[in-house]
Amino acid sequence: MLGRLKSVFSKVRKNVEKETKKPVAKKEKKPSFVSKLNVVKNLEKSKLKKILEELEEELLTNNVAYSVTEELKETIKNSKPKELKKTLEEKLKEILSAEAIDIYKGDKPIKIMFVGVNGVGKTTTLAKLASQLQKKKKKVVMAAGDTFRAAAIEQIQAHAEKLKINLIKHSYGSDSAAVAFDAIEHAKAKKLDYVLIDTAGRSHANEDLMRELEKVKRVSKPDFTILVVDSLTGNDAVDQAKLFGEKIGIEGVILTKADADERGGAIISVAHETGKPILFLGTGQEYKDLKEFNADDIIKQIL
Amino acid sequence: MVLDKLSDSLKNALKKLTSGKVDKEAVAELCSEIKKSLISADVSIELARNIAKNIEKRALKEKVAGGLTAREHTVNIVYEELTNLLGKEFKEIPTETKPTKLMLVGLFGSGKTTTAGKLAKLYKKRGKKIALVQTDTWRPAAYAQLKQLADVLKIDFYGDPKERNPVKIYNAVKKDLEDYELVIIDTAGRDALNDELTKEIESIDKAVQAQTKLLVLSGDIGQAAQKTAESFHKAVGVTGVIVTKLDGTAKGGGALSAAAATKAKVNFIGVGEKLDALEEFKPKNFVSRILGMGDLETLLEKASEAIDQETAEKTAKNIMKGDISFTDLYNQMEALKKMGPLGQVANMIPGMGKMNIPKSQLKEQEENMKVWKYLMDSMTVHEKDNPSLMNESRIQRIVKGSGRAETEMRDLIKQYKQMKKMMKAFSGKSKKFARMQKLMGKKGMPKMPGMF
Repeated sequence: MLGRLKSVFSKVRKNVEKETKKPVAKKEKKPSFVSKLNVVKNLEKSKLKKILEELEEELLTNNVAYSVTEELKETIKNSKPKELKKTLEEKLKEILSAEAIDIYKGDKPIKIMFVGVNGVGKTTTLAKLASQLQKKKKKVVMAAGDTFRAAAIEQIQAHAEKLKINLIKHSYGSDSAAVAFDAIEHAKAKKLDYVLIDTAGRSHANEDLMRELEKVKRVSKPDFTILVVDSLTGNDAVDQAKLFGEKIGIEGVILTKADADERGGAIISVAHETGKPILFLGTGQEYKDLKEFNADDIIKQIL
Repeated sequence: MVLDKLSDSLKNALKKLTSGKVDKEAVAELCSEIKKSLISADVSIELARNIAKNIEKRALKEKVAGGLTAREHTVNIVYEELTNLLGKEFKEIPTETKPTKLMLVGLFGSGKTTTAGKLAKLYKKRGKKIALVQTDTWRPAAYAQLKQLADVLKIDFYGDPKERNPVKIYNAVKKDLEDYELVIIDTAGRDALNDELTKEIESIDKAVQAQTKLLVLSGDIGQAAQKTAESFHKAVGVTGVIVTKLDGTAKGGGALSAAAATKAKVNFIGVGEKLDALEEFKPKNFVSRILGMGDLETLLEKASEAIDQETAEKTAKNIMKGDISFTDLYNQMEALKKMGPLGQVANMIPGMGKMNIPKSQLKEQEENMKVWKYLMDSMTVHEKDNPSLMNESRIQRIVKGSGRAETEMRDLIKQYKQMKKMMKAFSGKSKKFARMQKLMGKKGMPKMPGMF
């Protein structure tokens, strides 16, 4: 999945290595070797520029957002040529390993609310997580909080029926905060382990819609609010992460459709912007296709 | 809005071109800025590089036409290159054949079904007899979703929730569909265009033989857009593109480069979750808007939808005389409100886009307008037509009647006076205004009418 990023990073390392082996600037009396230079940015200017431009273009091609690309370039510039791999590894680790959260711990019922823009796969992801929790012998109730989009309730209901999980729903146009509230009350009464709250896909730039979402959160007081992002998203991934983070507040991220993503850039961009852990990757259309995210695995795949 | 940041950085970069001559360095900087902003708007790297290169080459090589400043010269070239990219002229989807079949294809979550509903609403308004057909048997409740939309729109709907084979669904209703003028066919998506989906849409395509095949792409899709579009194009031969979710911060560049890659034009853009939030995509107008040149055509279209002819003429006449009343102010505010959020409208007014008015200020203005409306609702018709009547006792009565604060009433009067002054200034056209008009006219933009 992340083969393309790997080749980007190995190429920049090779390029730096190649340049550091060559003798530098003619003006110096004794031919010195760049390997003696302490950091990459001391390379001959034109060479450095070329290497970094190439890197920038390839990172961008692989869907890494512009702001993150700039930062990775800085990291490389300030790294010692020989330790480039190590420095990059540390940087990526810093980006990808936010403080972990444990969605399996907490007072019953544990409430998880899903937010994100339209069409990223919130409902499908919610159903996948419900199915995985079920496998862990947890009792779950789902809240059909998207009361806006046509057939959103039928959609989550189809999952609920397939998985034989209780669903709390109201009618279209009703208050989604009330749906969430009822689901929580239901979970308390039946002593269930989890309440999974679906919400309507919302354009994060629309303040009125975000206020509605904020109300659902205020009423349901979720233990975890999870932002769902489509892996194919370009530079907007950063804006989505930022605005949902600011206006709603999130504890973790799930990236969907990772099976369709050859580039992997969104993973890095979103992790960087939110500073929150990526919990799962959606990797297919079946319920089982929700993989726990492991930063070390990803870094191994990239470097 | 789409390419918002591109718009901002373009405006900033263009500001640097102030000297009379086309400065080589400034142009190079501008082009590197253009490249950067195109890429951060998700335009494919290759495309962004080509556009920037072309602009640089042309700006330096081509002669500056008489009377134009270096900046206007460069803006023109940027304008032309960007419209080239986006497909120049807007072309209506042909709908003369009966039935015209329009098929929507795309990945999961790009917004196909919602768009099907939006298209149905748009063409129903234009008097077409329409059928909506659901062939998505994959996603749970896809059938119910389109059916609910069809019910709301009172449009005939075909599908079969029990059948798994999309081709069978279509063939079963094929005969019935011949009675319609426009048949809109929704299809299933997948995470990616895999073999399974390719086979499926190829077989639907064969059965349907649609004249128009529109690829629906999410406005926030990144560098994967081009490849996605190419593979859909290979499978069914895409005739056009619809870019959705452009009401947020989505950059739209991915979808735009996808359109360029398939040589298919962007026909529509989706700008909201409601069913009427679908706009025809007019490249020239769009580019004018992001370059801060305004988009008078769309503005006028919206204005003519929002205001009836008689009121418009009366208001225009009063404005020309520099003599407006509360009634005119009221009508204008009402019309403005119907035209959409103030920010969007402001971007369409030539010159306004360049001023970069902060969003919070526009929001505040929207709030103010609400209050002023309450106040004016408490005035008599006579008072509204003759603002000069306003005196202390009338003000007190209006404040009480509307339940607003006296300061708000004073604000309204102040606003009215300012507007009156501004209108007077406008009626004697400034030189700059005339030159902008010339530039616009040359680009095929409509001539500036007296109203604004």
